[in-house]
Amino acid sequence: MVFLLALGASVIVAAASPKAGPESAKRPGPAAAVICQSCHGANGEGAPAAKIPRLAGQSADYLDKQLRDYASGARSNEVMQNFAKPLSEADRAEVAAYFASLTAPSIAPNPRATDSQLARGRQLAQQGSEAERVQACDNCHGPDGSGVPRSAPYLAGQSADYLAAELQSWREGKRKNDAGKLMSSVVQRLNDADVSAVSAYFSSLAAP
Amino acid sequence: MVQRLKEVDVVIVGVGMVGSIVAKELAAAGYKVVGLERGEARFTVPEFQSPAVHDELRFDIRKALMQDNTREPVTFRNASSETALPVRRWESFLPGTGLGGSMVHWNGQTYRFQANDFELATRTKERYGKNFLDKDVTIQDWGVTYAELEPHYDRFEYLLGTSGKAGNIKGEIQPGGDPHESPRSREYPTPPQKEHFQGALFRKAATSLGYHPFPQPSSNLSQPYTNPEGVKLNACVFCGFCERYACEHYAKSTPQTVILPVLLANSNFELRTGCQVQRINLDSSKKKATGVTYIDTAGREFEQPASLVITASFALNNVRMLLLSGIDKPYNPQSGTGVVGRNYAYQTMSSVAAFFDQDVIINPFMASGASGTLINDFAGDNFDHSGLGFIGGAFIGAVNTNGRPIQYHPVPPGTPAWGQGWKEAVVKHYNHTVMFSLHGSSVSTRQNYLDLDPTYRDAWGQPLLRMTFDFPQNDLKMAAYVTAKGVEIGKAMGAKLVAGAPRKAPYTTTVYQTTHNTGGTVMGNDPRTSVVNRYLQSWDVPNVFVIGASAYPQNASWNPTDTLGALTYWAIDALKNRYLKNPGRLVSA
Repeated sequence: MVFLLALGASVIVAAASPKAGPESAKRPGPAAAVICQSCHGANGEGAPAAKIPRLAGQSADYLDKQLRDYASGARSNEVMQNFAKPLSEADRAEVAAYFASLTAPSIAPNPRATDSQLARGRQLAQQGSEAERVQACDNCHGPDGSGVPRSAPYLAGQSADYLAAELQSWREGKRKNDAGKLMSSVVQRLNDADVSAVSAYFSSLAAP
Repeated sequence: MVQRLKEVDVVIVGVGMVGSIVAKELAAAGYKVVGLERGEARFTVPEFQSPAVHDELRFDIRKALMQDNTREPVTFRNASSETALPVRRWESFLPGTGLGGSMVHWNGQTYRFQANDFELATRTKERYGKNFLDKDVTIQDWGVTYAELEPHYDRFEYLLGTSGKAGNIKGEIQPGGDPHESPRSREYPTPPQKEHFQGALFRKAATSLGYHPFPQPSSNLSQPYTNPEGVKLNACVFCGFCERYACEHYAKSTPQTVILPVLLANSNFELRTGCQVQRINLDSSKKKATGVTYIDTAGREFEQPASLVITASFALNNVRMLLLSGIDKPYNPQSGTGVVGRNYAYQTMSSVAAFFDQDVIINPFMASGASGTLINDFAGDNFDHSGLGFIGGAFIGAVNTNGRPIQYHPVPPGTPAWGQGWKEAVVKHYNHTVMFSLHGSSVSTRQNYLDLDPTYRDAWGQPLLRMTFDFPQNDLKMAAYVTAKGVEIGKAMGAKLVAGAPRKAPYTTTVYQTTHNTGGTVMGNDPRTSVVNRYLQSWDVPNVFVIGASAYPQNASWNPTDTLGALTYWAIDALKNRYLKNPGRLVSA
């Protein structure tokens, strides 16, 4: 079922792909990357509405770890596990490095995000909240969510729906491939409205 | 005009670690408690967030979290024959200010002292005879034993969530822990932090030499933790910005992260910040405190009456508060009489630098303030001192806490101090050096003491505290001995060059050593040689309690915070269960 949904998503990507930057896609990528591109876009721009994340310019170490974790089941996602499992260590590194090298334009801002939602998201991102005892996302994810390689991915310009789904997943304990349970301990103190707000905020920023 | 405020049950001077814990317990027991903090209120959010909190110039160099020494410095001299001058720039030690106190900028190193330390005078005499020590040494027993403090150590460590590996649980030696430690009742609340590469190198070498390496007990937590107060902490991310900095991740145990949320929610407690306490007020008999007088940030003077006064400031400020208030007799080094300011001690810090080849990658920046590996084989009385001519020792460890670019640049001896040669050496050695800390004990002596400065005053017109200190011969001999042991370990690690730097006299305040200033209001069983009794109650004015590292009669081989936490809970027990039910002397003089 999940697999079918993912295939559906790839159709959306194909329809959206003319908007993606043409230059980086011309560079020949590793053979394995072609499969990724069918969902994550020719330039790794992702498919925001289908919760498929951008990969373009993401930390290679981070991408490599996620592929490894999908393969081992440490990060659970049936679709991704099927793709990640057959990859050798070298394939993974190559694919990760390839998407890290790509650039793709930022997506259009989500019209559903309200000003107050964005303001709350920005507060959580830049400052945190003492009432919830949640520290700023930017502490680890870098200024304006621009990422701190090797382990903290960029969040700026990422699909809001993807970010919200992942935050839910950390909170519910479905995703747990972080060091020291850092993400799960933070997200447990955020309510649904805060999850939506912070996801909408990062999504509204220009991707690095 | 002095404004007289409504009387409360308890007034606490200083809302740091001690003040927060005492206030929480007494407010919860139903007493009206006012906490007076001279600095500002500050919290993890928004004050401690990045990127501002990692500003090395602001915090490391300009000491943004420290006591303002343009307004309130300490004066210093090496000997009573000299004239002391104000320390206008903190270097050797770094007293903090503001809500949460010095613990906000600590490294999180959370050691217990050993049973021997609390009965040091007695046990030294028993083991080495009564003429073993230099004549000027004035060490004494604490008046409290390790066994009495153990439950309180335990409670404090569980409050903090300290990450470590026990070495001795109820007398049974535990593999992987410190076999020299005195028995603890149970395992640490959380497992040790991950060992870094330099720690692993040290462990291997120390083991090969027959020593007993163990992971540094850390209050930068290895995993998320909910303490018995219900406060949650996160796991540390090894960013390497602990000491001199606040933690932005709720991962370092400080009053803000372990107790203040509970304290501040209790309506029996009132926090007042920006309040500079001038003195503890006494009645006409001079044997009873009536409260304190303070000046707020607008320059207004207030009298806060209280039935019980607790000074919970940094060690040096506890001593000064008693001297400014005329409580008990100031120490006189000529006659050896008087008690306030007596037995000031410090910590005798030495170091060893092990320089490796270019293919050994250390990554010194991947660390927390307490993620090292160390041995206690040469700490305290864990080795035979017969014939050595000194007591005490040091822990030896690869316990480097950071690789911050302005502060950390190890270079071999003989490197130029600036210019191209220095720069080249920094580039060459930055990522290929292991720095050991040799954290040495400090004996108290007749000539090291604290009193009020006759010349210099603070911004409010009050005399400054004057420190008279130099390293005792006992400790210099100790430093030389343990440093030689450290050099042997560095060689066994395979370093290309090993440089030992035993601490040498004269003591200077211009080089960072440690903020482990102890003594001056020492505890004990004899009012002629102590300021407070075994429950930290003033002998002279029984409704004053003085809680701080100022109570230590001398300093041991380890960081003092854990012991101070234990003493705090020990004193709270006496306060809650005995003193407050029937105020009066808890020990008859």
